[in-house]
Amino acid sequence: MRQWVGVLARLLVGIVDLVAGLAKFPDPAGNVRQVRAFQILPESVVPTVGHALPTAEIIIGVALILGLLTRLFGVLSALFFIAFIIGISAAWARGLEINCGCFGSHGVPANPQRQYAIDIARDVGLLACSLWLMVWPRTRLALDTLLFPHHERLADGDESEETVEV
Amino acid sequence: MATNQKKLSKSERAQALMRQQQRRERRRNLLVVGSVVLAVLIIAAVLFFVQSKSDTTGKSVTASGTPKNLSGQYDVVIGKSSAPHTIKLYEDLQCPICQEFEKAAGDQVRSAIADGKVKVDYHMVAFLDRESSTNYSSRALNAAMAVLSTAGPQGFLKFHEIAYDNQPAEGSAGVPDSTLVDWAVQAGADKAKVTPLIDGNVYHQWVVNATDQMSKDKVTGTPTIFIDGTEETNLQTGVNAVLQITK
Repeated sequence: MRQWVGVLARLLVGIVDLVAGLAKFPDPAGNVRQVRAFQILPESVVPTVGHALPTAEIIIGVALILGLLTRLFGVLSALFFIAFIIGISAAWARGLEINCGCFGSHGVPANPQRQYAIDIARDVGLLACSLWLMVWPRTRLALDTLLFPHHERLADGDESEETVEV
Repeated sequence: MATNQKKLSKSERAQALMRQQQRRERRRNLLVVGSVVLAVLIIAAVLFFVQSKSDTTGKSVTASGTPKNLSGQYDVVIGKSSAPHTIKLYEDLQCPICQEFEKAAGDQVRSAIADGKVKVDYHMVAFLDRESSTNYSSRALNAAMAVLSTAGPQGFLKFHEIAYDNQPAEGSAGVPDSTLVDWAVQAGADKAKVTPLIDGNVYHQWVVNATDQMSKDKVTGTPTIFIDGTEETNLQTGVNAVLQITK
């Protein structure tokens, strides 16, 4: 059961990340502007972060969809969502009017306050899914199962497998 | 004694065998993790490289790639310098809300410019290329700059009006260069002069840099309206304020 919840978490976070990354990929200059709009990072790193974002999202997304190194990518994904939540909250608190840029930039939303709340709620949900995968990385339909067939003996936090070990 | 020792060594041997087995498995797993991580890092490096290479932002612009008749590096101020109010606008020619703004206030703003009531500092940008299949946003701005270069600020103002009157819908194919040339000629530009500038997209790098400058100016969307230096945070109040001072 827990392993199937994990599959759901993987697909949810993975698909959202992949779609967001692919939407951003064609507009590198736009991604840099998005990062700059949050007014958090120093200008010297803004372009690098802007260019790295879609790459990171695509890779985390694909890895989670495939179930590849699920714990590692669950952790990375959680860190990203924490960063996003901090960024959006900071922008909200300072009254900046920005589009979160989550799925590519489309100008400033009509009602930024509401948009911020929605974005944060979504990211908290996705953070929860990522944390789940960090704690219980063993899931069904995962590439990890093929790569590490005997892995269940190296206790991976799943009860059913631990009983097998005993 | 002897048999006892034999027994012990047997179980020891079994344990050693198991430990060896475990070590082998751990080594194998580490190897798999290492190879996967390496492969992922290589893919990440390639994607990052493609992403940053395709961004020309900030590349220097040649003299021939810089529009003429600009007021600052990335803007053109139109109106009498004695005008009591200054409206600063950030606009994208593909942006539908900019079109709404122009529909609501454009005519009155242009007469107010002519009457010396206001001057308008146009910061044109192009960040909506993805909204058309032909990068209309940046091509249209290139054309506007071609008109500014060859027909001056009044020509630009006319082109700007024509472009908003005929704005292609988001998600469409935009309009072809030949149509941009027609608009430029309607706006008063010399066809022979303006055609190579539009067909060659000669101000493209300037357009990219101008758009980046908007973001460095902490402007994150269009239209953004400043009246005498104060930013209007809401389109409706912005339109009202503009209509007020251009009356």
